[in-house]
Amino acid sequence: MLVPDLYELRQRFDDEKILLCFNGPISRSLIEEIGNALRNYLKSEQASPAAALDVFAVYIELTQNIRHYAQRSGLAGADTATVVVSYRDGHYNVSAGNLVRLEDGEAVLKQVTDLAGLDKVELKKVYKEQLRKPRDEHATSGAGLGLIDIARKASAPVMPSLKTLENGTGYFSLSVQI
Amino acid sequence: MNDLKIVSTQSTPLIETDNTRGVIYMEGDSYPENSFEFYSELVAWVSSYLSDHNRPLVMELALLYLNTSSIKVMMDIFDELEEAHQKGRDVTVNWRYDVDNERVAELAEEFKEDCSFAFNIIGQE
Repeated sequence: MLVPDLYELRQRFDDEKILLCFNGPISRSLIEEIGNALRNYLKSEQASPAAALDVFAVYIELTQNIRHYAQRSGLAGADTATVVVSYRDGHYNVSAGNLVRLEDGEAVLKQVTDLAGLDKVELKKVYKEQLRKPRDEHATSGAGLGLIDIARKASAPVMPSLKTLENGTGYFSLSVQI
Repeated sequence: MNDLKIVSTQSTPLIETDNTRGVIYMEGDSYPENSFEFYSELVAWVSSYLSDHNRPLVMELALLYLNTSSIKVMMDIFDELEEAHQKGRDVTVNWRYDVDNERVAELAEEFKEDCSFAFNIIGQE
């Protein structure tokens, strides 16, 4: 029997200053429970209420994006999320990734890269424009506001990555420094 | 018109309406996965209150965190209030927040920018 080397895993978490990590099928209730744990942790670490709210907000937008994508795309395995929250060099980092269709990943990659070129004033402008757009009848999510909101809360450009996998799929992730 | 009395959950706020007094009260966090579905009753209540009466409407808010889909719905509601206000209706929003958390004030402030009716952001110690 292959026994997982938990100590090695833990050391890696410690080395990378990871406070919270999840990998598995994500549900609505798991998002809430992990979010609750995250909030309690931030409170116990005496993060400022503003920083704690930013970390929580980015965590919610990232994970709900994955849930919405998994439902919309119907892609098997897309609801398996990897979520990591770490604290390094005075900043919280929130990262999340999941399986996507390659073309969907490329589209989001472009959106994130375009947003990364905007300053805070420009981001606010596109945010307000998006907020004013009529809602797509079938859209259940934030109607494209999520990525802009994440970019506005980030203290450095959001880092996207897309790793090509088999059968026209890829692993897409976003890493956000608060 | 039936009043709403929706209890809060971890991801949804408490929502109460008072048709007689013309008050909507909301308190807590709002990050349901499908905000449009969750808020459909409130949106319908606001529409019917505004079309059935000429009485004032006050929204008493103590909301903390809103996900982007909740923000979108709240903007829709404020737009409807704005439209009523343009037609001479007396509408007010009072948004109370804890002064320790400036993010809540910033969120309320961005809504206020798009509203010309009385929109009070009230910091509390």
